[in-house]
Amino acid sequence: MKMIKNLVVFLVISSFFLVTHAYGVEKRLLFHAGLGQRAALNEIKAVFEKRHPDIKVNFSYKGSGYFIADITRSRQGDLFMPGEEFYLMQAVERGFLTDYEPKTDIPAYFVTVIITPKGNPKNIKKIEDFAKPGVRVGLGNPRSCAIGIWHQKTFKKAGIWDKVKENATLSAKCIPELGNATQHRAIDATIVWATTAVLYLRDVEIIPIEHKYRGIIRLPVGVLKFARYREEAQGLMDFILSEEGRAIFHKHAYAVNPVIPVDKQGFCLDGTTDQDMEYLVNSAKAVKDESFPVTKETVGDLAGEVLRQKKTTRAGD
Amino acid sequence: MDLRSRGGWWPALCIGITGIILAVYILLVTSNWIYLGLHDTLYFFSKSRMWERFWLTVWTATVSMSFSLLIGIPAGYALSRFRFPCRYLFASIIDLPIVVSPAVVGAFLFGITTRFPFDWISEYYGIYIGRNVYGVLLVQFTVTAAFCARLMKASFDMIPTRFEAVSHSLGASPSRTFFKVVLPMAKNGIIASMIVVWARAAAEWEGLMLFVGATEGKTDIMPFAIYLDWNGGMMGWVTSMSIVCILMAISAISAMKIIGGKSNVW
Repeated sequence: MKMIKNLVVFLVISSFFLVTHAYGVEKRLLFHAGLGQRAALNEIKAVFEKRHPDIKVNFSYKGSGYFIADITRSRQGDLFMPGEEFYLMQAVERGFLTDYEPKTDIPAYFVTVIITPKGNPKNIKKIEDFAKPGVRVGLGNPRSCAIGIWHQKTFKKAGIWDKVKENATLSAKCIPELGNATQHRAIDATIVWATTAVLYLRDVEIIPIEHKYRGIIRLPVGVLKFARYREEAQGLMDFILSEEGRAIFHKHAYAVNPVIPVDKQGFCLDGTTDQDMEYLVNSAKAVKDESFPVTKETVGDLAGEVLRQKKTTRAGD
Repeated sequence: MDLRSRGGWWPALCIGITGIILAVYILLVTSNWIYLGLHDTLYFFSKSRMWERFWLTVWTATVSMSFSLLIGIPAGYALSRFRFPCRYLFASIIDLPIVVSPAVVGAFLFGITTRFPFDWISEYYGIYIGRNVYGVLLVQFTVTAAFCARLMKASFDMIPTRFEAVSHSLGASPSRTFFKVVLPMAKNGIIASMIVVWARAAAEWEGLMLFVGATEGKTDIMPFAIYLDWNGGMMGWVTSMSIVCILMAISAISAMKIIGGKSNVW
């Protein structure tokens, strides 16, 4: 009997707790965003909420592949920023996004780089090295992540796709799997976005790719048709597309140049992103080597990432 | 009779295998702790983010466990004692969420919360179930309620019906019999089930991934936060939070043993 009484008391208290939570006056934006954008978007949210105290931004972070099913069924959400234009186009095709403007709605780009475990045991220097016998290569599964499509594209362009496929020892479902496998020395080399590589500065070596194989991936953002607070959502989108918003993306190793010349397949045509690549390589050095100077000249906007990862041996924030 | 005194290879083998399993688990935890290192352990354990996630997990799991118990105790009793039409059908359906992956539960919850009359109710009262803590509670409750009823049925099955018959014959009403006779006898079973249901709710992740999505500080209970940080390459957070999860599980089980919970599970 006593137990029941305790239980009832507990339930009453906990339901009170629930009710006090339920009613809020502020406008809550629901932002569907790819998991990979978490660090940059959290920073954007912090700045945006400070300027607009009446607006709260709630993220629903998921793998990009989950979004279409979610939006189709729930018909909720104000903003949408998946990890590849392809997923946004799916939403456009289904009519969830009516005013997407491909020319202007791209705040940032992913750039592909090679990563290897610390010390580069198999001495990987360029794309062709992936075909060397005995190199354990990690590939993404093209059905479940965008990097898989780019692996295929890059190695096919280099004419070594069949050999690389033979070398593959890992078929990853998402891009962090490749990063973690490299960090724990389960594979000898792989290609990932620069934004992924920058998360593992202490445990991987970063090798920039020559221009003709360097992929530039467009990262769009859009306001959904069923946005509850259209005006506020548009405000946040404008902030993301502004100079200030782009600068935050740049701090997390996205390329933010307004124009990056690319060929039809999306490979880089000139050295627009070279400077960013140099910063990335330097910041990997700076985390591993205490004496390497961390300044605007050496690591550019990546200083924040470098300092974060220097704080602890195993990365946190 | 003491089995040890009999000697022989079979007891030794069984005990040896138990020892190996135990050693593997201890190795798993210690190797990860060594990987994390002392400096990082202190760093991450002193961060407020860790303990915010911890309390979020504890209170959501506790609330959904309480609701599950409210459903589970009468349902388990009914399935154990009463004869009613379609009893076997009910018993099978109630097993479904245990067998079916929580991912399915997560996907199905979309269907119900966005249809009449639930969309209308949520619109009217301004409560949105879904990407907030109510979504977390709903997923945890849906996954654990049936599980709870199942465990309760097992607990009530263990209690002989004689006591109830005696209570009835002395003139007590069915409800009085339940609260005065059956429930106190099922106490140990209930406590054991509470811990199991609580642990199941605290470990829920797949359903959340589909139905709720992660909003930091609001819906990312421990297992979800581990997944998020794994995606962000933050091995320090991943390892330290996993260690906290294991410590949480060990204390829950020990607490249950100390209180004296027993059922057919343990």
